[in-house]
Amino acid sequence: MIKIQSLSKNYGDFTAAEDISFEVQAGEIFGLLGPNGAGKSTTINCISGLLKPTVGEVFINNHSVMGEPIQAKTSLGLVPQDLAIYEDLNALENLNFWGQAYGLSGAELQQRITEVLQQVGLESRAKDLVSTYSGGMKRRLNFACAILHKPQALLLDEPTVGVDPQSREHLLNAVEALKTQGTAVLYTTHYMEEAERLCDRLAIVDHGKIIAQGTVDELRSQLGEKDLITLQGDFSLTDEAVIAEFELIEWQDNSIRFMAENAAAQLSDILARFEADQVKQTAVQQANLESLFIKLTGRELRD
Amino acid sequence: MARSKMSFTVASLRIKRVIRERWGLISWLAIPMIIVFLMSLLAGTGSGKLTGRLLVTDLDDSMVSQFITGGFAQGPLAEIFTTKQVSLDEGKRLMDAGEASAWITIDNGFGEAFLSNEPTDLKLVKNPAQRILPQLVETSMQLLVDAATYIQIVFEKEFNVLKPMLEQQKFNDADLVALTLGIKQQIENLEETIFPPQLKVVEKAVEEVVEDGDGIPLTFGLLMFPGAIFMALIFAGNSLAIAIWDDAKNGVIPRLSAAPSGLNDYFNGQVFGAVAIFTLIVSVLGVLGAWYFALPWAKMPVVILWLVFSGLVIYLLFVTLALMMPSMKVANIIVNATTFPLLMLGGSFFPMESMPDWLAAIGNFLPNGFLLTGLKDWLIRGEGMVVAMTVPLVLGLAMLLVLWLFDRQLIKKLIHKV
Repeated sequence: MIKIQSLSKNYGDFTAAEDISFEVQAGEIFGLLGPNGAGKSTTINCISGLLKPTVGEVFINNHSVMGEPIQAKTSLGLVPQDLAIYEDLNALENLNFWGQAYGLSGAELQQRITEVLQQVGLESRAKDLVSTYSGGMKRRLNFACAILHKPQALLLDEPTVGVDPQSREHLLNAVEALKTQGTAVLYTTHYMEEAERLCDRLAIVDHGKIIAQGTVDELRSQLGEKDLITLQGDFSLTDEAVIAEFELIEWQDNSIRFMAENAAAQLSDILARFEADQVKQTAVQQANLESLFIKLTGRELRD
Repeated sequence: MARSKMSFTVASLRIKRVIRERWGLISWLAIPMIIVFLMSLLAGTGSGKLTGRLLVTDLDDSMVSQFITGGFAQGPLAEIFTTKQVSLDEGKRLMDAGEASAWITIDNGFGEAFLSNEPTDLKLVKNPAQRILPQLVETSMQLLVDAATYIQIVFEKEFNVLKPMLEQQKFNDADLVALTLGIKQQIENLEETIFPPQLKVVEKAVEEVVEDGDGIPLTFGLLMFPGAIFMALIFAGNSLAIAIWDDAKNGVIPRLSAAPSGLNDYFNGQVFGAVAIFTLIVSVLGVLGAWYFALPWAKMPVVILWLVFSGLVIYLLFVTLALMMPSMKVANIIVNATTFPLLMLGGSFFPMESMPDWLAAIGNFLPNGFLLTGLKDWLIRGEGMVVAMTVPLVLGLAMLLVLWLFDRQLIKKLIHKV
């Protein structure tokens, strides 16, 4: 349904996206996971036709976004990272506007408006001006505007940023419902727990490149059974040899990260290798996408 | 069909947002009316009647000079001008302060030169900040000078008798009677030519104000009225052009460019919305103006169409400027910086008739200037529609087409600026 082939986007010497390729099938949620500035939004903007790729092709429902933009965009829904709604109109007026932008009209449009308002839990506030909504309600309306026309492919660019837990739950449920209806969903986020919950497959992006791709289980397996241990303190005078038998991820003067099997059991032994009061803080993370990202990049997702 | 419907939806939302916001609309309507009222007050009276102050320095103080100055203190001119006798210093001070419309100086010896049929001068200083009133003074002076020339020719013999009497200040009854009879005889001779018996003299009250065109009283308020509607259109056009940047900043335009209907429908919708808003503004102000200034109602449809067309040209000009700018902040600065010269030079704050010729000429090169002039020439000065409006219409249509095509391209680039 969504097919990206060798997509690159350059701004002069700066490469925002490099050789990105993946496919999203109908009824599948594909996650793009990466920190801010990794190239997720650039990729989304190229797919939606907002940006012209420097190299590569994007197909939506077998229509090239560059070659047959109207046909491709008809099958596409976009939930942009920033709100894209009129705050001085009410929800009904916004939905009417966006429905028409996607070619809906008449009774069909009115029926879809009723359905999506129910879906995102805004039916009781439909006639209120959007400017009176909470941030989470605005996000839900932003989402509703993108699914009015029942798109076969949906792009969600960090839809839960700054959203309260109730609205987040509404949105995640709605995305899961779309998946069951056969929509191909491309979901970008830097919240690894969202990616783990929603995504059938995902790609981890950093500095514009895909550095890992697969199902959540496949990606976890890259870590094996190892946990991620993070120690913080003063290690400027300490020799790296103290943890030589572990898989070192990062050694800095004020923090070190390494992988260890059954970390909880070994932790007291590990700490004993350092001088008293040298370690100020200790963290043990079980194998997950966050620790995989740290292993792959040496950085945290929220950096 | 679906695409045109989308444009009308965009237009209706724009109208709805303008009406809901309401203070913007109120200010577009109220500010021009307030400015016309204040400017009319400053120019004379609230009713727009022309009044001015005429300074006279009579250094000659002769019978002849008093005849000249007396001309401004009588009849219809007395309704328009307040005449003030001043010294040279006071006259200069008042003119420098712009506190008078014109200043006439009659030099010493003027009366003697007149009676001797010798060349002499009258000095007139006009206030450059005013146009109509000083022009009235100048025209009246020319009429008086012409009249005096004819008097010189007709009563030459009598003046030759009168002159030594005045010089010597000696008057004998016999000479005075002979002089009086001579003048009476001349007047009776002239009456047959000047007042032929077949003509019936009908007395008619002189209008207080100058008339022009179709007999519409030409007042300062009337001269300002079409410009004031342009002012409302310029204010509205400014805000509506910047509103496109708002839509880009709030993410609507980028998101729309990912929708199949695209940005052309959106832009056309904005244009339709602007037309509807201009029609509302023009209708309200036009009807008020037509009622107040007693303009012919039959002309109102053309007036409204012309003003809406003009508003659209100005709006697209603002949109072009706004969309060419790299950010909303710069767009705001540039559009506002353009608004005020358009208002000042284009005849909205001051009627072009009250501007110096060179400034009015510049104003006529501005789109609002030539469109306003075309309207006033037809509506107020009574020129034919074809003569007055063809050139501005062609220029306006050309601008409209070019700007519309240009803006459709510019709006697509807007998504990369936000």
